Amino acid sequence: MTKITETALATLILQVFQDTYQLQTGGELEAAMTHDTVLLNTGLDSLGFAILVTKLEEELDFDPFSLSKDAFYPQTFGEFVKFYHQNQPV
Amino acid sequence: MSLKHNLDALPGDRELVLSSSGVWEKARVVAQPRNAARLAGIKVALCIADAGVALRALCVLDGIAQQILLLSPAAHADLNISLATRAQCDAVITDDLALLAVPSECLLSVPTIESLIAARAQWNGVVGEKTRWIMTTSGTTGTPKLVSHSFASLTRSTKIDATRGLGQKWGMVYDYTRFAGMQVLLQSVCSGALLLAPNYGMALNDKLMVFSQHGCTHLSATPTFWRKITMIPNSEKLNLKQVTMGGEIADDRILSVVSARYPTSRVAHIFASTEAGVGFSVADGKAGFPESYLSSPPAGVEIRVVEDILHVRNPHVASRYLGEQTVLSQDDGWVDTGDAVSIRDGRVIFLGRASGVINVGGDKVHPEQVEQVLLSHPDVAAARVYARSNPITGALVAADIVVVDPDAEVKSIKKSVESHAASLLERHQMPVLLKVVSDFDVNAAGKLLRNDK
Repeated sequence: MTKITETALATLILQVFQDTYQLQTGGELEAAMTHDTVLLNTGLDSLGFAILVTKLEEELDFDPFSLSKDAFYPQTFGEFVKFYHQNQPV
Repeated sequence: MSLKHNLDALPGDRELVLSSSGVWEKARVVAQPRNAARLAGIKVALCIADAGVALRALCVLDGIAQQILLLSPAAHADLNISLATRAQCDAVITDDLALLAVPSECLLSVPTIESLIAARAQWNGVVGEKTRWIMTTSGTTGTPKLVSHSFASLTRSTKIDATRGLGQKWGMVYDYTRFAGMQVLLQSVCSGALLLAPNYGMALNDKLMVFSQHGCTHLSATPTFWRKITMIPNSEKLNLKQVTMGGEIADDRILSVVSARYPTSRVAHIFASTEAGVGFSVADGKAGFPESYLSSPPAGVEIRVVEDILHVRNPHVASRYLGEQTVLSQDDGWVDTGDAVSIRDGRVIFLGRASGVINVGGDKVHPEQVEQVLLSHPDVAAARVYARSNPITGALVAADIVVVDPDAEVKSIKKSVESHAASLLERHQMPVLLKVVSDFDVNAAGKLLRNDK
């Protein structure tokens, strides 16, 4: 499997994030997501994130949280994308 | 009273079982082999695919053997050997070639009861008061457990009346070695009815064909099986007089679908568990049972609700799993069934297994409850809800559904089912992933497998 670039991942994650956000909160994201957006300030709660991770696993066929050896939870959107990029199975 | 003596009142030519080995009249079932007394006190395991052959072996052994372990012919030979070892069996009678071929110093494998008699002049010699019947729990998860019964405890709710069953033909969809299947076998045989018993491994459509050809009148199956049965072409041609559901929660929808499909039949759902022995049946066509059962118990089985869990008391209950320290019944005889219930509008409704609860970030979800919501959508024929592990909440709810019309457009049905579910479920109960599949697996007891992913 070839690695997906970080930019492509960011686009895909943003799409799934927006879909999940809309389904879970019934509204649109208030501000545009940037590299530094703190995830928990977006309005998506922990159940929402749990759902996001599962939806992403369906899209990407991997879950970085179970693949990564580090006990790490990304805080910003940039870290989140990077975490997915770094933990892609080769 | 032993199994064999219970058949005394039946005429010798009464047909009791139709299995792959042909018709078993009563005389053939109770025929004693020579020197059967040699088997006195033996601990024997049976692993026999053919229900007629097995019934005959049970007739010979009940009242002579110390214990009979019933092994599922559908289970792997290795598992059956480990179960026989755990139950300290002396020998196994089996038509499973893999099991026969296993060399074992402590477990003798033979193909027939005659070969067992020929093998040794004497076993343990002592004839027990009553023979223990050891059954394996099917378990929707984990390894099977051994539970001790007797012919008396297994036939507690059976009306033993040889005249009742004349003309009745009972269909066997279950594995007869399991609790539900054994109930069907014993009830049919002890009432003198004919049991239509195709081998367990046969496909459900083919079993239904056998039932249809031979005029099956009584059919007992799990709600999951009934949902499948109603989807099989020509299943409406069965001319049933009695429909029984058990082993899983019977919801209002499947009860009404089956009642409409078989208008001349009596439709009942039963509550029973291997551990508690048989429970009670409800025939008013509605899910759950009347709250009045808590004060005036049906069929002498006492029922109470403790912290939303159903407890029952049955004087014949096995007090513990074999080979384990876990005590099933407390000293006063009450058994925790592990079934979560709630009381609504004078009705005790089953929510699901307390142990099958999915924990979504601390919120409990009963898969059965979500399944019932999915099943209440008109396009959903069957539903299976299970846990999907998740790094944030520990688990989330996932679901597979089978749709009524296999040619329907999947995307629009999914959308419609999702919005239906969202209107009835809390956020944490909602299936995050909803997949349309063509069929589900069921376990040996006909219960839905909810293996987590």
